[in-house]
Amino acid sequence: MDIRIEGLCKYFTSDGKTVAALDHVDLSIPANTFFTLLGPSGCGKTTLLRCIVGLETPDEGEISIGGEVVWSSRKGIFVPPEKRGLGMVFQTYAIWPHMSVFDNIAYPLQVRKMDAALIREKVAKALRFVQLEGVERRSATKLSGGQQQRVALARALVAEPRVILFDEPLSNLDAKLREETRRELRRFLDELDITAIYVTHDRVEALALSDTIAVMRAGRIVEMGTPQDIYFNARHRYVADFIGRANQIEATVLRHEDGITLAETGMGTIACQRRELPAGSRATLCIRPEFIHITSRAAAPEGKTALEGRIEALEFVGEVYEAEIAVAGERLLARIDPDVAVRQGDTVRMAIDPAHCLLLSA
Amino acid sequence: MTRTRAQLVWLLIAIVGFLTLCPVLMLLAGSFSQGLTAFGAFTAHKYVAAYTDPALAGVIVNTLVFVLGASLFSTVLAIFLSYLNTRTNIPWKGAFTLLSIVPMMIPHLLFAISWALLLNPSNGLMNLVLRGAFGLEQSPINIYSIGGMIFVEGLLNLPIAYLVIAPAMGAFDVSLEESSRVSGAGTLTTLRRITLPILRPAILAAFTLCVVRALASYAVPRALGTPGRVDVLATYLYEMISTGFAPDYGQAAALGMSVLSASILLIVLYRALTAEGGKFVTISSRGFKPAIIDLKGARLPLFVVVALLCLLMIVIPVGALFYTSLLPYSMVPGARALALMSWQNWIEMVHDDITMRALQNSLILAIVGASLGVLLSLFAAYVTVKLRTKAAGLLEMLTFLSFSFPGIVIGIGFMWFFVQTPLYATLTAMMLAYIAAYLPYGVRPLTSAFVQVHAHLEESSQVCGAPPLTTMRRIVAPLVLPGIVSAWILMATMFIRELSVSVVLSRPGSEVLAVRILNFADDGLWGKLSALGIVMILLSTGMVLAATYAGRKFKRH
Repeated sequence: MDIRIEGLCKYFTSDGKTVAALDHVDLSIPANTFFTLLGPSGCGKTTLLRCIVGLETPDEGEISIGGEVVWSSRKGIFVPPEKRGLGMVFQTYAIWPHMSVFDNIAYPLQVRKMDAALIREKVAKALRFVQLEGVERRSATKLSGGQQQRVALARALVAEPRVILFDEPLSNLDAKLREETRRELRRFLDELDITAIYVTHDRVEALALSDTIAVMRAGRIVEMGTPQDIYFNARHRYVADFIGRANQIEATVLRHEDGITLAETGMGTIACQRRELPAGSRATLCIRPEFIHITSRAAAPEGKTALEGRIEALEFVGEVYEAEIAVAGERLLARIDPDVAVRQGDTVRMAIDPAHCLLLSA
Repeated sequence: MTRTRAQLVWLLIAIVGFLTLCPVLMLLAGSFSQGLTAFGAFTAHKYVAAYTDPALAGVIVNTLVFVLGASLFSTVLAIFLSYLNTRTNIPWKGAFTLLSIVPMMIPHLLFAISWALLLNPSNGLMNLVLRGAFGLEQSPINIYSIGGMIFVEGLLNLPIAYLVIAPAMGAFDVSLEESSRVSGAGTLTTLRRITLPILRPAILAAFTLCVVRALASYAVPRALGTPGRVDVLATYLYEMISTGFAPDYGQAAALGMSVLSASILLIVLYRALTAEGGKFVTISSRGFKPAIIDLKGARLPLFVVVALLCLLMIVIPVGALFYTSLLPYSMVPGARALALMSWQNWIEMVHDDITMRALQNSLILAIVGASLGVLLSLFAAYVTVKLRTKAAGLLEMLTFLSFSFPGIVIGIGFMWFFVQTPLYATLTAMMLAYIAAYLPYGVRPLTSAFVQVHAHLEESSQVCGAPPLTTMRRIVAPLVLPGIVSAWILMATMFIRELSVSVVLSRPGSEVLAVRILNFADDGLWGKLSALGIVMILLSTGMVLAATYAGRKFKRH
């Protein structure tokens, strides 16, 4: 089912000041996509999720799920969470400690007054689906963190909702388990016709899982797109910075040429991805460290920008060297393949693709 | 939805506010009025009378010595025991848990009386034995003294201090001590320079709580102080309203205001201390077990000390009561005593109408009172935990304040109120006063029960499609049930033994067990008293065991 959100606002009062947790959010999530709300804590992503599920009431705007309006300030509609027919995995998993694994998962079916035999069948299927067979009778809180997470997922899925919501579900797992669970989660959801809305502050999770990412700041959606779009073609400094590491260099827009925009920086003139910025305006040039390539050739390859600099610091971090390279007055962070023989103090030549040089206003 | 919630909160504040503030305001009004039945014109006369009484100075000195002495005794002993239990390899650690729940099982009045049976100067059992053994003319120990009172009250408040200090010591980040050891300090220097200073907030909090309890204590001063003519404020207040032909409630109210103010001040201090306590004690999240200190050669002697304490707190008092209940009068254990032993006192007790009525009244008060009290506590706890509004904060403060109220002062306050109403001298009046005085005992376990029910547990039920009532029935109620059971049993245990409120409000027809025990003590009927005391101890112990069992049963999931 698709989800449509229009002009959603939610205000909180703290210390007498009113703060907008959600500030006129407009959003349309197509059916059967994996949609992620990404942002730092306090950006409003969890509030947005809780408004969609109905645990929080917004102050203005409208939410509809699958064409049905579930909340509207104008029309005075509020469908309570239990009537929205959604599934949700909580950050704490919210496994009920007084119930067995079976009862936890059967609960959504029991409250729908389903036939006992059918419930057993569906719970068994859900347990098989999350690969947790044989623990039905165990007390749910006696399971490990990863297993509890699967119980929470099975419970969210058992009633076959068309939309499932996740509130930072992996944040309580340790790093290794988090990676495994992440892959599994995507595999599980790929098998179902379901719309997933996922809240996280972890950019890697967002990039790895999502069809679409919306980056949020201060109650607003700053930018939205596919993971590749957001990573390679960010339009805001805030987004470029949040989604990965980036060199940020002050620049002035010179002129536009065939498919590129030229910008003047402390390192000289740099060819950048074309952006419609007025000539003479100030901007930030953003280059990700992995797109600065060390080259032995004197001239840059066709269409690329050549730079020369001195390696000021070199750090071996395993899969790559991280180098700090001084180019004219600027310093660039670059990631260098371990098989390229460089040493601190070396002068190196670099080539940069204009497609990976982003000019960002503000 | 929010509207009905707000209404519920204000209704609760009205009920709780009435219960806590009514006795206080009536006490205040009473202290400025002319007499109990007719308030009359405003007068400060009672204050002048109360505070210029030449006897008062002596009473205050006694009170200070008694309260500070007993609290110091409890706190030092509690530090010692907490350290042994949480930080050393002392054997048989179950004894510590047992020690901490004893006062729940043995009512304070009976504990004090049993020590009177053992160590009173004329025919205390232990004194008789010592006189015989050493050929002494006089009894070597007189429990009817300020020292005796300090000893008994100190033992009674020991568990309170222990329950505050032991968790703090157990949660202590050991690396703080380890770095002291690495720096070259020995075990004792580390204890003195690092451990105790860091635990200072917890220790001060324990001490303050003991002071509040000792100041409110009526049982010990009445059982041990009154026979030895050592008056403290609690007994002095009671004498004002009981002795002579003209009990002076006005003067008692005037003096009671000071006691009440001191108690409130102390409980506010306690709260500030425990709030600060969080800053000091750091709980290590790494899951390290504290390094256990090997006591080596001191292990056995220290264990003997703990065992002796168990003996002093459980075996000897209960033993003395049971022994006395079988004898016609006090005598040294021996062949003659054995020959005279019978169930006579027990049989007479069963046939005594007033005693049976007291038993019946106490049971009614415990069962009905605890049920109503828990119902009120349930709503109050839910509101304070789940709704974080200003009104909810007010409610929390009200329930907390009443924790400090000395029973006898609350009783006097309520007396001013009930005497104007048809409720005077009824069980209903006593029940209201009981609930007011012991509300925190119901609210506290329920508050912690609600705190444990994470909001997500309710929300996920809602998202699963359960309507609010189903969520209440299937998720919240089962999770809070252990809290409800323990709150009910705690309140019922308190009501079964209640003394200090009852002693003011009880009238012929509304006798209760503790007041009946006092009657027996006044008449010197030690045998009957002991028999009834054993019944009370059995009732309390049964309830505490039931609570422990219920707690275990529910904890399993």
